[in-house]
Amino acid sequence: MYWLSKKRYIVGMLIPTLLVYSVFIILPIIIAVGYSFTKYSGIGKAKFNGFANYQRLFSDPTFWIAFKNTMIIFIVAFLLLLVGAFFIALLLNNHLKFNDFNKALIFSPAIIAPIIVGIIWVYILDPEIGIVNALLDAAGLSAWKQQWIGGDTLSPYSTAIIYFWQQLGYLVTIYIAGLKMIPEDVMEAVRIDGASAWQKLRYITVPLMKTTISTVAVLLITGIFKIFEIVQQTTGGGPNHMSETLVTYSYSTTFTKGEYGYGMSLATITFVVSLIITGVYMMLTREKGEKA
Amino acid sequence: MISKKKKTAMHVGTILITLMIVFPFIWMILLSFKTNSEIMTAPLALPSSLNFENYKNAFKVLNYVQLYGNTFFVCIISIVIELTITFLSSFVLARMEFSGRIKSLLYGFLILGLSISPFILLFPVYKINVFFKLSGKLGLIFPYVATSISFNTLLLVGYLKTLPAEIDEAAVMDGCSVWQLMLKVILPMTKPVIATVVIFNVLYIWNEYPFASVMLRDAADYTLSMGASFFKGTYTVDYGGIIASSIMIIIPELIFYGLFQKNIVEGMTAGAVKG
Repeated sequence: MYWLSKKRYIVGMLIPTLLVYSVFIILPIIIAVGYSFTKYSGIGKAKFNGFANYQRLFSDPTFWIAFKNTMIIFIVAFLLLLVGAFFIALLLNNHLKFNDFNKALIFSPAIIAPIIVGIIWVYILDPEIGIVNALLDAAGLSAWKQQWIGGDTLSPYSTAIIYFWQQLGYLVTIYIAGLKMIPEDVMEAVRIDGASAWQKLRYITVPLMKTTISTVAVLLITGIFKIFEIVQQTTGGGPNHMSETLVTYSYSTTFTKGEYGYGMSLATITFVVSLIITGVYMMLTREKGEKA
Repeated sequence: MISKKKKTAMHVGTILITLMIVFPFIWMILLSFKTNSEIMTAPLALPSSLNFENYKNAFKVLNYVQLYGNTFFVCIISIVIELTITFLSSFVLARMEFSGRIKSLLYGFLILGLSISPFILLFPVYKINVFFKLSGKLGLIFPYVATSISFNTLLLVGYLKTLPAEIDEAAVMDGCSVWQLMLKVILPMTKPVIATVVIFNVLYIWNEYPFASVMLRDAADYTLSMGASFFKGTYTVDYGGIIASSIMIIIPELIFYGLFQKNIVEGMTAGAVKG
């Protein structure tokens, strides 16, 4: 509508959103990066110290533990969910009885507070009161009992499993939306041609689902780098920072220890690492797409 | 046709997966009726009786009226503000005429937020709140409004673009002003997306923890997720109480999900698929 599109309307109606967005999303990123080059204890003024925080970070053993744990969670959760959710979506994409009900139940962990997801899993994985070790005891397999959480090795793997539980239904739903977009007649033709289930999957379903698979992958990358409450609630990053992730370490450095400058350099690095992984993933899939 | 054998296998598979996902919830409910000593000494045993002691304790530890009240308060104010401002800006981006390049640049800029992790924002936003003298519950409003802008823009612009331009023309012929067109003609037609936006944001604020944990110092300001986190470190004391308290936060949430399942799933997947 040309005659409604007066400049003062356009500008006036855009300004509130742009203002809030700039002040509370864009400006904070700039501030965070700014603080990452300072020493700041919260009192007085932040003191510029160049790249000192970033140098410290590379020689900080806890940073590398957090980095390693984050990568373990990333690899385990990424593979489990990317592949697992796909096959479960194939299983659920049909007109069986009660299917909608099942789908609704599988989706439900994704809507409850992540902090409560953490609480729930304490009662499953805790070495003392958790059901997993209790079951192993009851089955006479006490030797298999582990410190699923709170020990010094398994916490990140457990975090990945908990994340799997939380996100499965959500990603299955996205996959199913993608499967529904494959035209019925394509599948019909494949069936008539007598393709095996594997051939159908390999040559038809997966290639046609490429966009959806990419969407899920990007969601996983950004999602996994936001895991916080689960770790906070199950181990709190402990014992002795052994189960810290990049996000929890940057959080505790900033808000528990009050080392704001160093905390912001950790936050910045975390942000950059997740951007790099997203970027690399996009580049890899684009190349593949061109070859195909 | 799917063979009968295959159908049975699929049924069994589906049921197994569903059980695997639902089991932790069932386990929680069972545990909530056990006493602390039962939880510790006989983890696998079923509750010896239907014992509501844990629920009584939960009410003593957490002030639910206040938790729900605070969450509700933050929800209403944030959602009113964000809907007002994002409806206006989305209307401009979807329906007004000006340079297409600027338009897509602005749209891209506003959508960018979908890939920004809140963790880099926490401390700077805290400082900005201090600067504006926003503290406690009030400190949550602008971060929540701001983090919803990308999602709301995505959904609202997408939907507003589908409404035919003739609507605007006809309305103007009939002597509508811009405001009348927006509020009386377009807004009512946008109801379904607005419902999705509102429900999605209610859920977001209900569950949001990182910002809440940074902004809320005083227990009187706590929102629900903060209430739940109250037990961190204290769980060696009262296992049963924690479970009962958590259940009383999840149950309303699951009911909410049951009622608005369609909008919730739509909102969560639309953000992903279109973004």
